Amino acid sequence: MTTPEGSPARGAGATVEFHGAREGEATLTWGQRLIWRAVHLMGDSQSFLNCPWVLPVYGRRDLATVLDTLRVLIERHETLRTTFHGTPDGPVQRVRRDGRLTVDLVEAGEERALRVAERISGELSTTAFVHDRELPLRCAAVLKAGRPMALALTFSHLAVDFQALSLLSEEWKVLLRGEEPPPADWHPMDQAALEREESFQARSARSIRYWRAVLEEAPLDVFDHPPGAPEDPRFIEVGMESVALAAAAETLAERWTISTTSVLLGACATVLATVSGRTKAVMQLVHSNRRDPRTRTMIGNVGQDGLFVLDPPSEGFADACREAHRAAFTAYRNAHYDPFAMQAMREDIGRRRGREPDLDAFFNDRRTIGTWPGVPRPAAGEIAGESLADLTAKTRTYVTNAWPGVRFKAFFTVGAATDTGQLSLIADTAYLPLETARAMLLGVEALLVRALDEDVPLAAVPRVCGVGPYAGTV
Amino acid sequence: MTAGQYRQALADLVAEVSEGAIGAEEALAGERSLSALGLTSVARVRLVDAIEDTFGVEVGLGGDWASLESVDALAALVSRAAEPGDRTTAGA
Repeated sequence: MTTPEGSPARGAGATVEFHGAREGEATLTWGQRLIWRAVHLMGDSQSFLNCPWVLPVYGRRDLATVLDTLRVLIERHETLRTTFHGTPDGPVQRVRRDGRLTVDLVEAGEERALRVAERISGELSTTAFVHDRELPLRCAAVLKAGRPMALALTFSHLAVDFQALSLLSEEWKVLLRGEEPPPADWHPMDQAALEREESFQARSARSIRYWRAVLEEAPLDVFDHPPGAPEDPRFIEVGMESVALAAAAETLAERWTISTTSVLLGACATVLATVSGRTKAVMQLVHSNRRDPRTRTMIGNVGQDGLFVLDPPSEGFADACREAHRAAFTAYRNAHYDPFAMQAMREDIGRRRGREPDLDAFFNDRRTIGTWPGVPRPAAGEIAGESLADLTAKTRTYVTNAWPGVRFKAFFTVGAATDTGQLSLIADTAYLPLETARAMLLGVEALLVRALDEDVPLAAVPRVCGVGPYAGTV
Repeated sequence: MTAGQYRQALADLVAEVSEGAIGAEEALAGERSLSALGLTSVARVRLVDAIEDTFGVEVGLGGDWASLESVDALAALVSRAAEPGDRTTAGA
């Protein structure tokens, strides 16, 4: 194999052979059912759902040790040995006890190993999983002069969510140190059994009642204007990195005694409502849903979406954010349901209203902590909007990751960086041109910075944010 | 269960659902609202789930948010709902 000098070189693969403790078959968990449906809705675009991840090799370890640690992870967690099958009685998960995973070996060459690993995990993610034949993870070991530096992985979203990946990373560190992590004694097959119990079924029914009440009234579309000519590519993600956003959100959260998530959600929903020319915003909240203590540490996919409605109680932005905090609680509380039963209800709504509301606006906070420890704080007192002017000048936006065929109209994501506020917006350019999407992100920042100095009247939001109702033409 | 036992059990649940971010003593002191102590929306959902599972009551939604903001208010809500012969839905 020849490669340009200094670029990563792929060599022969290694094989990890695993022998787990249990095998079996069960119905899908609620979290798996949600992704199962998404996988089939998205078809060829389902690779968007894949979860790229890097496990750095801490300390000096040889390849055999690293691969053996990977074996232990696969043996401990049934989800990593699971395939997913459609059957006449509905989809099922099948846990294998034994099997093999092929691991590509890639020499990083002159490049930084972690950068190579990130790139390879992205490359591994571009192909959809064959869920009924393939293990739900793919892996390459990135080497530097023969020494393993990182594992580049991608996972099927049927098998993990981002919380599970964070837990795997922690466990990976513990195992590499040669220590024993706590036993992994709760798996998706156990979760599926729990979700069939009466108390869980009652919560599911209650959540579906809440969703029904919202869907009976919600606008049928995120935007009233008809789709325009999309840009190429049609779906884009605009990102923003803003220290000012983080500093303002922290200060406002403290002032209003709500979480930074609620501040950001309130601001994103307010800007979305403004652009859509409405007073209310309806969004789905991506929710980790690890509520039950047994589920908290499970490696699996537990995520379900919540349905959030922001109906501001007054004319001020501060009240809108406080209301967002309450509405987020209601959304999370009713994010515990059987997605198949939910779908049946939504189809019923569709029959009554002519079609289902599209609900294609989302908000996801990917952070695992509610603050930004790397963002500088004032020595004393509250930060003022004026003092953030220098910081907002440093804010940068960029366009990234455009996928064909995802169906979100507006999807806000708070990124996990701890030294700056990362906010991105995936937009369907048939409804939101790139420049409008960019203006919305900068508008969220402007709104929060202004809110430090005054309670922004909602009527003033278009002026403060520099973005007003968008009717389909620029 | 006495009122004091309800309060202690609820304060322990607050500490548990917040994964230690809020201490049971802080929650019991009641000087600041649970939001001010840092109870997130997700932790509050865990708290309500835990209350339902522990006390066998159903906490209703919609209504007075303040009932979910202190251990004392929660204790009143749970003890009302748990009284024999009373309704089993705690309106929050």
